[in-house]
Amino acid sequence: MKKFSSLEWFWVILIAITLFNTFLGEQFASTAFVSILVAVTLMYKGIIVIDHFMELKHANKNLRFLMRLYFIIFPAMIIATIFF
Amino acid sequence: MSHEQPSNTLGIFPRAWSEEQAGRIPGNIPIWVGILSELTEFAIFFVAYFVAKYYYPDVFAQGPQGLNTSLGVANTIILLSSSYFMAKAMMHIRLNNRGKCQGYLWLALSCGCFYLIVKTWEFYWNNLQGLSTSTNEFYTVYYYMTFNHFLHVGWASCAVLWVIFRLRAGHYSAEEHSGLEALAVYWHMIDLMWILIFPLLYVLR
Repeated sequence: MKKFSSLEWFWVILIAITLFNTFLGEQFASTAFVSILVAVTLMYKGIIVIDHFMELKHANKNLRFLMRLYFIIFPAMIIATIFF
Repeated sequence: MSHEQPSNTLGIFPRAWSEEQAGRIPGNIPIWVGILSELTEFAIFFVAYFVAKYYYPDVFAQGPQGLNTSLGVANTIILLSSSYFMAKAMMHIRLNNRGKCQGYLWLALSCGCFYLIVKTWEFYWNNLQGLSTSTNEFYTVYYYMTFNHFLHVGWASCAVLWVIFRLRAGHYSAEEHSGLEALAVYWHMIDLMWILIFPLLYVLR
C-alpha cells in the first residue's frame, strides 16, 4: 500500500481541525475556552498552509514573516472578542 | 558604480529583502504585490467584522445560527482539498511529470467550480430564508466578505484553466515553472482567507 506523504497528512489534519471546530461551534455556546481553542487551531491551520502548501518554510523569510503575522493578529483578535 | 539589479527584483526594496539575503520568492514579485494587496483588502473586512461585533454583540451571536453550516463546512473541505491538489501539481511539475501535474490542476479547478456551485446554492438558500444584505449588520458583513471571496475563487479558477492550457502547450517544465508557481501561491492565499472567514461567520457566536 502506498504510504501517506507529509502533504496527505497535512490535508487530513486540516480537515479534521475544520470538523472539530464546527463541532465546537454547534455543541457549545461561544465561551472563552471555545474562542481560544478556535483561535489557536485557526493559527495552526494557517501556518500549515503557509509553510507546507505555499512552501514558504524554506523560502523568503520576510514573506513568511508577513504571512505568519497575519495568522497571529487575526486569531489574537478572536481571543480579544472574549472581552466584548 | 554599478546599478545592476538581479532580473527578479524591481530594484525598489532594501538589499536585506533581496532573494540572496532573505531567500527565494515563490512565483514572482508581481504576484506577491497582488497577494499582499489582497491580504490588505481582506484585513479591512476582518477589522470591519470585529468593530461591528463590538458594537452589535447580540446580532453577531445570533447571526451564524441563521446560516447553513453544512454548506460552509463543505466549502471549507473543498477549498482545503483544492490547496492540497495544487501543492501536488507543484510537486509533479518539479519532477517534470506534466501528465500528473495537469491531472492535479484539473482536480484543483474542479474544486474551485464545485465551491462556486455550493456558494451559489448557499446564497439561494439564504434568499429562501429571507436573508439579505440589509437583514442586519451581521449579514451585511457576511455578504461583503463571502461575495468578495466568491469573486476571487471565480477569477482564480479561470487562471487555473489558463495555466492548464500553458502547461499543455509546453511552457512549464521542472526548470521553468514560475508562472504556475505564481498561480499556486495566489490560490493558497484564497484558501487562507476562507480559513479565516469560516470560523468568524459560521462557528463563533
